[in-house]
Amino acid sequence: MTTDWPYLDVHQSRTHEPTPYEYRLASALEEVFTHEGHELADIVRGLNARQVHSPDGAPWTERSFRDEINRLGA
Amino acid sequence: MTTSPADRLTADHIYATGLRNQWHPVVPSRFVAPGAMRKVTVLGEQWLLFRRSDSTLSMLADRCPHRGAPLSLGKHLGDRVACWYHGLEIETDGTVSSVPGLPGCNLEGKKLVRSLPVREVGGAVLAYFGDDEHPEPAPLTLPEPLTDPDTDSFLCYAEWNGPWRYAVENLLDPMHGAFLHHESHTMFDGDTTAKFRIRETDRGYFFEKTDQRGVNFDWVELCRTGVDWVDLSIPYPPSAGPGGPFGIVGMVCPVDENRTGVFFWRYRKVEGWQRDSWRFLYRTLIEKRHWAVLEQDRVMLEAMPADADQRENLYQHDLGVVRLRRMYRAEAEAQAAAPAH
Ligand code: FES
Ligand SMILES: [Fe+2]
Repeated sequence: MTTDWPYLDVHQSRTHEPTPYEYRLASALEEVFTHEGHELADIVRGLNARQVHSPDGAPWTERSFRDEINRLGA
Repeated sequence: MTTSPADRLTADHIYATGLRNQWHPVVPSRFVAPGAMRKVTVLGEQWLLFRRSDSTLSMLADRCPHRGAPLSLGKHLGDRVACWYHGLEIETDGTVSSVPGLPGCNLEGKKLVRSLPVREVGGAVLAYFGDDEHPEPAPLTLPEPLTDPDTDSFLCYAEWNGPWRYAVENLLDPMHGAFLHHESHTMFDGDTTAKFRIRETDRGYFFEKTDQRGVNFDWVELCRTGVDWVDLSIPYPPSAGPGGPFGIVGMVCPVDENRTGVFFWRYRKVEGWQRDSWRFLYRTLIEKRHWAVLEQDRVMLEAMPADADQRENLYQHDLGVVRLRRMYRAEAEAQAAAPAH
């Protein structure tokens, strides 16, 4: 841990630099939240319509989105 | 340790380096790993944070009771620190446990190093800085957003070159949001003219717009609950997903006359997948945008002239700042004047 003054670190909440998949999912989520809504059904529809799928390539379901976002955001 | 009246701190010194007899944040907890120690400056004084491998934390004056060498240059011995100069060993409560060069020396067993009460809260170290008349820690009530299980938060810590008061004053000045942060992701909206009022509470006061709420940085509450903190709320754009506005719990560490540590917990009342979504977006995209906003504050505050608060022309929007200064100034005077017994 550096002791140099001043400590100015943009990222203090991350454990790793996000992967390209994580960046893609995050931007798609912001778009969906902006244009389609804040419900689980909106998210699943919105992400699938944008072809932003889960890591195994399968279209999202409410269940798989909950699981994945819990893994990424816990 | 007794202080003669001649050693008493002046009101100016207290005002410049931070009020005594209350808790202050020090550094993020993660700055001191288990089994490690770290030198810190707080209220213009040198301290050593010392963490045992079982994570127990203690805070000692960074000054060897022998001849005054900094203990922070010494060696971590697991449950005590050994001064590098002549090897004196100090326990985590400040007791000299051994004088290796002169076993049986009468320093052994004496508590000669000042140690401060510490607590860890929301990922930050808080310590109680009492003067000689007030060694017992003041009761501490923690900010609810940091203790409510349904509220989730991330701590952002930064170090600024400027007096601690400017950082607190900045938080009691909501109107700067509509100007300084106009280009930001959260504060683009809302009127650039407003009327404010002060509303007293039993723990501090609100400084708030009379005619707009929930649009920009429209209100702030100063809370004095053993530690000084502010609470405020700022709307998120729809892109941040469900959960409504985010809040900030802000605290300030007076490092010395011209340096300040700022602690901002961004919090949101969210649970389940909504919480997970916010946390994921925060780490991936939002944290960086919040940082850009905070940098605007830093650039402005660091550029303020040294005599900024002596040559002002204040108006109605500055009532929150004026109230704050009066309070801090009066308390600094009272702490300096308190009779030594
Ligand atoms: S100054 Fe620390 S042991 Fe002598
Ligand atoms: Fe600001």
